[in-house]
Amino acid sequence: MEILIKAVYILIFPGLLFATVFGLWLAGIDRKLLARMQKRVGPPVLQPTYDFFKLLGKETIIPANAAKVTFLAAPYVGLISLVVTALFIPIGGLQAFGGMADTVVILYLMAIPSLAIIFGGSASGSPFAGVGVSRSMVSIMSYELPLILVLLAVGRAAAYGGYTTFSLEQITVIQQLTGPFLLDWRLIPAAVAMLLVIPCEVGAHPFDVGEAETEICEGPLVEYSGAPLAVFKLSHCIKMFIMTALFTALFLGGVTTGMLWLDVIIALVFCTIVTVVSMTLTHAVMARFRVEQLFKFFWTVVSGLALVSLILVWYV
Amino acid sequence: MFKKLIDNSAAKSPWLFHINAGSCNGCDIELVAVLTPRYDAERLGFKLAGTPRHADIVVVSGPITAQSKDRVVRTIEQVPDPKVVVTLGSCPRSCNVFKGSYSVVGPLDKYVDIDVSIAGCAPKPEAIIDGLALATQILKEKRGAKE
Repeated sequence: MEILIKAVYILIFPGLLFATVFGLWLAGIDRKLLARMQKRVGPPVLQPTYDFFKLLGKETIIPANAAKVTFLAAPYVGLISLVVTALFIPIGGLQAFGGMADTVVILYLMAIPSLAIIFGGSASGSPFAGVGVSRSMVSIMSYELPLILVLLAVGRAAAYGGYTTFSLEQITVIQQLTGPFLLDWRLIPAAVAMLLVIPCEVGAHPFDVGEAETEICEGPLVEYSGAPLAVFKLSHCIKMFIMTALFTALFLGGVTTGMLWLDVIIALVFCTIVTVVSMTLTHAVMARFRVEQLFKFFWTVVSGLALVSLILVWYV
Repeated sequence: MFKKLIDNSAAKSPWLFHINAGSCNGCDIELVAVLTPRYDAERLGFKLAGTPRHADIVVVSGPITAQSKDRVVRTIEQVPDPKVVVTLGSCPRSCNVFKGSYSVVGPLDKYVDIDVSIAGCAPKPEAIIDGLALATQILKEKRGAKE
């Protein structure tokens, strides 16, 4: 019975199936609202789903000078680690696997999909992918520092008995007592920093230096076609879900009605709102950063915001 | 299991790859106009892909110059199946006013099979959308025939 419940967690909710469906829905909302902001009709909300299934039906071409095994395995490694990450994030108080150090585990697991893109790109042997890989590395270095600072600040705010916590469960419980951390004035800079980290982590428009479509033809993905490309596109959608769910757990957690299914729905509504605010709005109003601008922006402005929060939480 | 879903999706998510084979840029501008907010081809799922590996529909404009011929043929070969080749404007079918030039080796149908031709010099955006919509239907048929 125990194993059966774990299997349901991994395969259905909040694992593979749910993450896929909700991720594709978020990506569809993002594209539709972006189009409305640009005074276009826009694609149907199901467009990312159509894209995914179409790509599954396409031929997979492996370039002659590619490292075949790495080239084909990379997208699946990325997808699996994302599904595992989804299990550690509480959605409306429902957390499949929890422990002492959720945020540290999430930090490590979230690095794997980005590395999978880098490995896949390097294995494809294309010069465009080479440029994209080096840019992706810069963008990983850019967002990791502010992300760690944000997690530390929130962990300190949810400290119990003087110990900074790394447990998302405890962060949720403390928020049930004190109200969502978004309303705590000390943590507002950290929330803004997190809203800027989300699009960079996901690789959404103003920060998508690694996959710049108009400059380097989607960088590491340039040689991919068919099912592996579909899996990479799906990973991108699931990343949107995971990062917004992480924001919801960190800053909008603890909103509880007593009924689990209602809590989950409220959390998912929050996820959608966070997607619109952090990804769609920035995509609609901003042009893409250059690589060095991105690095500078994240290590000064965004890290600065997170650091201000950390200091405030620690001493005020 | 998902065969029907994949077949239906084939017509709903056509990604374009545009090759300029010596065009005067007139057709290219009209193709871009199709993607602007006024005509918004994205509502039908069209998206401009940066690389032939991601494309479903290859749009060729221009009278195929001697320099571009090998590249056009090679690029079209790189597109994964099922794929559709669309010619944009009169040039790729007849070489138009460039016919007889020492540097023009068109028309395109000497080298690859063409599925849809969009006429005009340059074609109106409405005509381009019509031609691309026809191309998506051919894409779906090709997908069905492959199975």
